Amino acid sequence: MNAVLLSGLLGVVMMFASFLFRTKAPVRILAILGMAVLLVANVLDTKGIHFFHVNTTGFLSFTGYALFFNTIVIACTLIFFLISSKDMQKVGNHYAEYFALIFFILTGIFLVTAFTNLLILFIGIEIISIPLYILTGSAKKDLKSNEAALKYFLMGAFSTGVMLMGIALIYGATGTFDITKMNIAGLLKSNLLTAGMLMLLFSMCFKVSIAPFHFWTPDVYDGAPNVFTSFMATIVKVGIFVGFLHLFYTAFDAIALQWKIWMAVLAALTLLVGNITAVFQQSVKRMLAYSSISQAGFMLFALVAMNETAHEGLLLYAIAYCLATIGVFGIISKMTDYSFDGFNGLAGHQPLVALCVAIFMLSLAGIPLSAGFLAKFYMLKAVIQAGGYMWLVIFGVLMAAVSAYYYFRVIQAMYFKEGPNHFSGISAFEKCVLVGICVLIVFTGLFPNIIFGWMYF
Amino acid sequence: MNNVLDIVYWIPLLPLLGCIINGLGRKNLSKGAIGFIGSGVILASFVLSLWVFFQVRGGNVHTAEYFPFINVGNLKIPFAFQIDQLSAIWLLIITGIGFLIHVYSVSYMHEEKPVHFGRYFAYLNLFVFSMLLLVMGANFVIMFIGWEGVGLCSYLLIGFWFKKKEYSKAANKAFIMNRVGDLAFLIALFMLIHKLGTTTFSEIFTSASLAKLSGKEMTTITLLLFVGATGKSAQIPLYTWLPDAMAGPTPVSALIHAATMVTAGVYMIARANLMFAMAPATLNVIAIIGIATALLAATIALKQNDIKKVLAYSTVSQLGYMFLALGSGAYVAAVFHVMTHAFFKALLFLGSGSVIHAMGGEQDMRKMGGLSRYMKITNITFLLGCLAIAGIPGFSGFFSKDEILAGAFAKSPVLYALGLFGALLTAFYMFRLYVTTFKGTFRGTDEQKHHLHESPAAITIPLVILAVLSVIGGFVGVPEFIAHGAHALSGFLQPVFKEAYAVLPKHEVEHSTEWGLAGLSSVLVILTVIIAWARFSKKPDLQAATGFGKILENKWYIDELYQGVIVKPLNMLGSFLSNVVDKKVVDGLVNGVGRLVRYGGRQLRWLQSGQTGSYILMMVLGMVLIFIVQFFLRK
Repeated sequence: MNAVLLSGLLGVVMMFASFLFRTKAPVRILAILGMAVLLVANVLDTKGIHFFHVNTTGFLSFTGYALFFNTIVIACTLIFFLISSKDMQKVGNHYAEYFALIFFILTGIFLVTAFTNLLILFIGIEIISIPLYILTGSAKKDLKSNEAALKYFLMGAFSTGVMLMGIALIYGATGTFDITKMNIAGLLKSNLLTAGMLMLLFSMCFKVSIAPFHFWTPDVYDGAPNVFTSFMATIVKVGIFVGFLHLFYTAFDAIALQWKIWMAVLAALTLLVGNITAVFQQSVKRMLAYSSISQAGFMLFALVAMNETAHEGLLLYAIAYCLATIGVFGIISKMTDYSFDGFNGLAGHQPLVALCVAIFMLSLAGIPLSAGFLAKFYMLKAVIQAGGYMWLVIFGVLMAAVSAYYYFRVIQAMYFKEGPNHFSGISAFEKCVLVGICVLIVFTGLFPNIIFGWMYF
Repeated sequence: MNNVLDIVYWIPLLPLLGCIINGLGRKNLSKGAIGFIGSGVILASFVLSLWVFFQVRGGNVHTAEYFPFINVGNLKIPFAFQIDQLSAIWLLIITGIGFLIHVYSVSYMHEEKPVHFGRYFAYLNLFVFSMLLLVMGANFVIMFIGWEGVGLCSYLLIGFWFKKKEYSKAANKAFIMNRVGDLAFLIALFMLIHKLGTTTFSEIFTSASLAKLSGKEMTTITLLLFVGATGKSAQIPLYTWLPDAMAGPTPVSALIHAATMVTAGVYMIARANLMFAMAPATLNVIAIIGIATALLAATIALKQNDIKKVLAYSTVSQLGYMFLALGSGAYVAAVFHVMTHAFFKALLFLGSGSVIHAMGGEQDMRKMGGLSRYMKITNITFLLGCLAIAGIPGFSGFFSKDEILAGAFAKSPVLYALGLFGALLTAFYMFRLYVTTFKGTFRGTDEQKHHLHESPAAITIPLVILAVLSVIGGFVGVPEFIAHGAHALSGFLQPVFKEAYAVLPKHEVEHSTEWGLAGLSSVLVILTVIIAWARFSKKPDLQAATGFGKILENKWYIDELYQGVIVKPLNMLGSFLSNVVDKKVVDGLVNGVGRLVRYGGRQLRWLQSGQTGSYILMMVLGMVLIFIVQFFLRK
């Protein structure tokens, strides 16, 4: 409960920060400090120290898993602030408000990971979505940004409608919004329930860009300012994913036969579309948008498997994917040309930065010794353990092989090609952060047990 | 430090340090420093091994776990050493003879450039390290690391003069043939892990643990292990690499290809004695392969003219005897023969090295002769070595070979008769070698004759020490029928083998019979020596061989057979796979997939039109499709 209220509060504080400070540096420092405080508060929450005592019975339930995941989300956001908060200045004048919106989004994520009531799920999703529409369109004078925001809003509204319809149908079938109290075992044959469940599935798939509900993703990610693409492609996506897993694990496990096959089919379709299309992109940013679709396909494996390993795997995936993608976007935000050609010869101009990008790409591709490898490994292992979807595992491995093509293209461009410098410079502090991310990626890849150790302390 | 057993890890660690120092410093260190470091670390290991030996003799057996090496699921493989009677003996042989050979090498290799001199000693130290790992490992995995390590060092040292193409080829041959055996070893290892879930010796070799294996599994595993042993210990069918391995420097032949590495197979089977004792079928195979190898190699040795080739085939033949002993269940005899053979075969190789050194690199016996006048010490020590290997009573070879033959007799008189025949062949070819080389008149060029000299002290001192050991080494194993309780080695090794001996069928042989057998073999061997001496001192074996001799000279055409039956078809298959399957099928498939992906990508890109309306349309189509399948088609 600490994190939910505190992040909402911090959001309000940040809204007023622009009145308090004339320059931008204090705003940034305040935001980073606020995020650090949020991290501490959440860790204290996991240790059983609660600042607020609010009775949330029937609405929210903070399990150890959810709290640990929230810690990861906050830590990743903190890293995101450290590496990208300066670049947010380039977007527009409302610097403090951007931070405020991000704090609000975090509030939404905390709700989505801990809800026990469908209404809270809906509210959480909306708290996440509406600030995202604004952030997407925050580069007010950039037509692409405006177009992206409008598209995102239109399609988001559509998916909201679908979700509400689904919740309504489920209410009609079960008579309750509380997912712990639905007596689903008695409603195995209820078409009303199945239809509602499927509509919820569609709308959640939309939010995490699962094909064929992914069409907004490339346009929005491409149009939005780089820094915000980084945030919404990583933290927001894995946050909603955990909610997705939580929803189906808690509410619909009894009718798993009805939807599991769809998860598998959609995962395969997403992997196919994401990877194949990514191969053709000329812009690294757009390639990353498709890569985020294909990575979502892998994360959907957790919903196919639905076991202990899947829960662990999703956490690992969240860490591996967020760290690497935040790192890459942190660098892209500092580049004047972010097509593949823009990366040509980067190893010569910026050896350290190029090395970091290489590590991020290797992790995204799932090369051993990186966190990305273990994440993929856990996902495949989870599905194998669950049994029955061997074809999906094989397909996933093949698609991972395809993904190596476009990730390695970046490495190839940096190391084996010549080109002018498109990199606009990076501070020593940001370099340290980049190296820190790399260390974390390799560390997680080598000692995943330590991460799980924290989870089950 | 109150017990040396707590610091046994220094025994392999010191040679490793020597290898690292010499390897990295080979460009900066002087030859003197390299030789001093290289030999010094082995001497230190030897002193420690000696200390360990006395601890073990006092009844201290030791297992030490240092760190977990592999932990996967339920499989736990620690990095652990096991010091018991068996490994203690090998430790002494490896470090003791290893030290002598290092000292010898300082003189033998003195013409090499410092860089290569350093490389040589680095390899040699690495070899000793690997060999120590092999015998000290407390489980099959550590043993296998050493096993592969010695194989690598053997490869590096055979090809030490890699600029000569045939030497590199010999190195490749050794490595590849060893890999064939290693594969079998690995499969056996995996089967053990699969069936028993452990690789630790003390956990596998208990009656309770082995009872989990069915008879068929036991036979399969032991047979596979034996195939592994045939690779490393040069037995039929994987023996042809050893004679070619003589391309390496002579001290290397003495250390690796006679005294130590090639006995690794014997060590492994002796280590797994209980398991082999419970697989009688495998024991039969081992005995048959052993005697067959002994005879085949001995016949080939009869007609070789290269002094090192004769010794190489002799080594293969003697290894055959060791396996005959193992197959007969006479484990102590096998270990005993490993020990005495290490003495006299190292001596013979080093002696031949001294000869080759004096002859300026000449290895053909037909161009030698009468060397005893020029090289007194080499001559005497070499003669002692020949007497020992021939099995003249009182010399070390007599005791160990006799024990093997007695063991073979207990298993089957046929094996005994064949073994005795092989022993006579051994005496014959060894004295052919000795007489042709050291007696008669010198047949080389005048320049070589002018150059003839006794080797320096660094070469002769190891020869003398080894000669002494070759003469008296047998007295640790005086047979029971001569003096009761005099077989010190048997008593020492008793804890290692007692369980296996309890399992093996008992064949008691009367003491009177043993006297008779020993007497018979002694008389025949002495006769053979006299015949050989008389024949070759009168007329050396110089002219080209004809008829059956030619077959022997060409080693029964086994190499040609392997070339035709295995290598050529494999090469043809290889070129077929690379030219047709790889280029057409595999590349075609891969390129095809690539093209398909590109094509698919180009088509899918059209869906991403940028039109919100069409996006929503596609989403709706997707939903409708799923709804239709869910509600109308799936039931």
